[in-house]
Amino acid sequence: MARLIKTEKEVEGRYEDVWLVVEEDPLEQWPAGARTIVGQETVRVDAPQRIRGEARYTADLQFPGMLHTAVLRSPHAHARVKSIDRERALAAAGVRGVLGPGEAKGLEDVAGYHGAPVAAVAAETFAQAQAALEQLGAEWEVLEPALDPDRSERHDDPNRYERGDLEAGLAEADVVVEAEYRTQSVLHNSFETHQAVCRWEGDVLEVYISTQYIWGIRDSVASELDLPPDKVRVVCEYMGGGFGSKNSPDEYTFVAAELAKRTGRPVRCALTRREENLAAGNRNATIQRLVAGARSDGTLTALGGEFVNSVGWSGWNASTDGPMRMLYDCPNVRTVVHGAKINTPPMKAFRAPGFVEGTFGLECLLDELAAKLDLDPLELRRKNYAHATNDRPYSSKNLMECYRRAETHWERRHEVRSRSDGPWKRGVGLASQIWYGGGGPPSYAWIRVGSDGRATVITAMQDIGTGTRTAMAQIAAEELGIPVDRVEVSLGDSARGPFASISAGSSTVPSMGPAVRQAAHDAKRQILEIASQRYDREERVLDLKDGDVVSTDGNLLIPLTEVVGLLDDAQVLGKGARGPNPTGMNVLTFGCHVAEVAVDVETGEVQVERIAAIHDVGRVISPLQASSQVEGGVIQGIGHTLSEERLLDPHSGAVLTQTLDAYRLPTIADVPEIVMDLVDEPDEHLTNLGSKGLGEPPIIPVAAAIANAIRDATGADVRSLPITREEMLRALREAEERAKAKDKVAAGSS
Amino acid sequence: MQLVRPESADDAVAALGNGSRAVAGGTDLVPLVRDGIVEADTLVHVSRAVPRGIDGTRIGAGTALAELEADTQIPETLREACRLAASPQLRSMGTVGGNLLQATRCWYWRLQYPCYLHGGDVCHARAGVHREHAIFGNERCASAHPSDVAAALLALGATLRTTRRTLPLADLYRLPSDDDRNVTTLAPDELILELEVPPADASAYLKAMDRKRWAFPLVGVAAARSGAEVRIALAGVAPVPWLLTSGDDLESATPLPGTAYKVDIARALVSRALTAVGSPAG
Repeated sequence: MARLIKTEKEVEGRYEDVWLVVEEDPLEQWPAGARTIVGQETVRVDAPQRIRGEARYTADLQFPGMLHTAVLRSPHAHARVKSIDRERALAAAGVRGVLGPGEAKGLEDVAGYHGAPVAAVAAETFAQAQAALEQLGAEWEVLEPALDPDRSERHDDPNRYERGDLEAGLAEADVVVEAEYRTQSVLHNSFETHQAVCRWEGDVLEVYISTQYIWGIRDSVASELDLPPDKVRVVCEYMGGGFGSKNSPDEYTFVAAELAKRTGRPVRCALTRREENLAAGNRNATIQRLVAGARSDGTLTALGGEFVNSVGWSGWNASTDGPMRMLYDCPNVRTVVHGAKINTPPMKAFRAPGFVEGTFGLECLLDELAAKLDLDPLELRRKNYAHATNDRPYSSKNLMECYRRAETHWERRHEVRSRSDGPWKRGVGLASQIWYGGGGPPSYAWIRVGSDGRATVITAMQDIGTGTRTAMAQIAAEELGIPVDRVEVSLGDSARGPFASISAGSSTVPSMGPAVRQAAHDAKRQILEIASQRYDREERVLDLKDGDVVSTDGNLLIPLTEVVGLLDDAQVLGKGARGPNPTGMNVLTFGCHVAEVAVDVETGEVQVERIAAIHDVGRVISPLQASSQVEGGVIQGIGHTLSEERLLDPHSGAVLTQTLDAYRLPTIADVPEIVMDLVDEPDEHLTNLGSKGLGEPPIIPVAAAIANAIRDATGADVRSLPITREEMLRALREAEERAKAKDKVAAGSS
Repeated sequence: MQLVRPESADDAVAALGNGSRAVAGGTDLVPLVRDGIVEADTLVHVSRAVPRGIDGTRIGAGTALAELEADTQIPETLREACRLAASPQLRSMGTVGGNLLQATRCWYWRLQYPCYLHGGDVCHARAGVHREHAIFGNERCASAHPSDVAAALLALGATLRTTRRTLPLADLYRLPSDDDRNVTTLAPDELILELEVPPADASAYLKAMDRKRWAFPLVGVAAARSGAEVRIALAGVAPVPWLLTSGDDLESATPLPGTAYKVDIARALVSRALTAVGSPAG
């Protein structure tokens, strides 16, 4: 019987009650440790398709008669379009459709940032569409851009948090440190740019799209076009990266849908790389004015922060104060987070939004505090270990174990420092990490086991490139007792499977995995029931193992194909649903990184030589895919720390870094040795798997660990990202002047 | 747009000018044409018109950077400048002649702001974002010349043979002026054919970048020593490759607020380069 319950759902720390249908009989978790298939190194199940170029991305789709779209974007950071000449554009060669402001969601006559979409043209070729943009002859009224995020009149209602009494905490402190940190705006720059192809098949609108959430696209498009949701079919078979920037549809989706409706033709709307660098979202810049107080033994008495997020024209105010609120056991904490609405491209979620930026500030501040207290930074963190957040216990927390495992890397610092050579100074730094990643309901999966003994997992989720197909295949194979190469995973199509979770917030495995396991268990139960009747054995002595039905007394071994073969072409169908998260608990992920760097103090060059990444994300399903997440997170973090920055002209607000020669992603030569260590302890309170997500955690502590290693190597406090040569040399000069002043004081007092 | 492939230098010269542009490796020109910064009715592919290959101290202008990088006859500063330039793919396409003529990476210029270098009145970089820009010769235009190879050849005292003349490499370049915004003296229908690169007793190239590989120089320092004479040339510090007459020249730099750090880097790299080539001044 379907049982309806009310349960809590958490989205980045905010809880809401949702109705949920649950199974009566939840599964026990597997014992801790690697299983036959789960926890083993499994090569990506779709690796051959990817390597052979057979994997079809949205960017690969070519439909007969498909039109191509070019979007007119504002060349100004703030402007109103006074007029466009639709007729002239419509008359241009190859043009089949024109949309002006207001004719598709996202096209607006007031442009709030450089690159804001205003109008769109569909033509037989992309070149014709681009050429026709000129024919629109847009006339602009240029408006004054607001570009300074620190101006209070640009701030909306701030998010405020308070526990205890900050002033009292500071008064109690023996040592107080205050510092201002700044982080820059960085771009996702996914390999596959944001794009959609829309096509009408009868009365169904098909939306092929590079997305992290096909159900969200379905609902938004249906609502915008006033269609019943099931009349919108959303397909995303393979996807070239999103990092948070593809959680929702944007103008390109609505433009393609509207032009497909008007022209009766399939329509592609794809951002170019330049557009991707203008208008596809970004991690917002921040200003963080922080204070920490502690007693001389290192006990934190106060943490305070005023944060300014440059959310841009229409972004949202992320929890940059999250780490300060959650990471440490401190009785007195006060934070205020302002979101500045300015004429810059809107922020979008980017791999742990807020927490990446906030961890840089907080974890650098902690090391500045440790230096002032003359305490070991690792000990300072252990001393202030949190056992609950907001009076809610953790469903599991193994950060102390992460710290223990960090010791071997941390102890290298003496040897690393001793390898300093001439202008190259070496040092080691560490930083901790806290984040969500527990996933949640609802999410559903089906499994079909055919007479050939092969299983197909069917669920309308998406694999955003993280290896989801492989993780789901491993879970199903483990539960069904069949080799992983007998499992197919069918996903990426809202018309071909049940509702599934968004792939954001490190939630894919923790949301979907339990549903897949339950579906596999349901199929397995039926198979054993069939075998029990056919071979006259009690069901409780039967099991599935290595592709056979076996009895626990050891005297029955029947190939699975023989059992399901009884059904001819009919199949065994299993279904599964994600159960609720534990009520009243914080489900969080934890970790810490230890970075080793070398700094050329004469030229400001920073070389990251090694990063040890230690994380607690519950049970590890697929270690190879996990290592990809850790390596990817660390590398993206190094770009954030050292070289990436979206630059704006300070007067006009125009974006200057529109191409990848100007916007500097790290290259393979910038990648250090990366050592991964996952605690792999199932969260006993969380689902039938005990697994949390790993997509975001590995990027979170990177910048602070590197900055702290730089301080260890050189004594310089870098407080602004990216740590360019200029910033590095500035910090070194400041440290030198500080040391000189200190010497002077010392000389004067002697 | 047309593409022609003349068989000789004479035919190439005849095809140049009047809206045609020469193309060799195409690694810089093709993007410039695609972006509408360079307009051309005809592209004149000069691969058959320009010599390619290395013969002692003579280098064909059509020789790819990848070939120079691999050849042990080539002085170290030039090999290293090639090795630290661009990416392996780009170096196998880009030619040494084309490299000398590449355009600045100044974002304002590349985004077609009506700047001084494009014929306008003001340098947008001077009042804008200029952290990668010039510390010398930057009064009118603060763009930085991106060629590592040009600095190395300048330090080596290379001469060029073109379809019209023979000239020291230094004479190929000029700062843009009110009368002429070009940064080279090459005529529209003139082709670089060959380089004469004197050997050096010792030479070195050092480069500061924003990342470890595949980036244009923030500061590139080439040094070459012949006997007691040492020549130093810099990349990425002026609108043209910049020859220093002595290490003290750095004291006369005119950095912008955002490029002052480049002087520090240049000072450190010049000192290291002098040491590397065994100069007493190092």
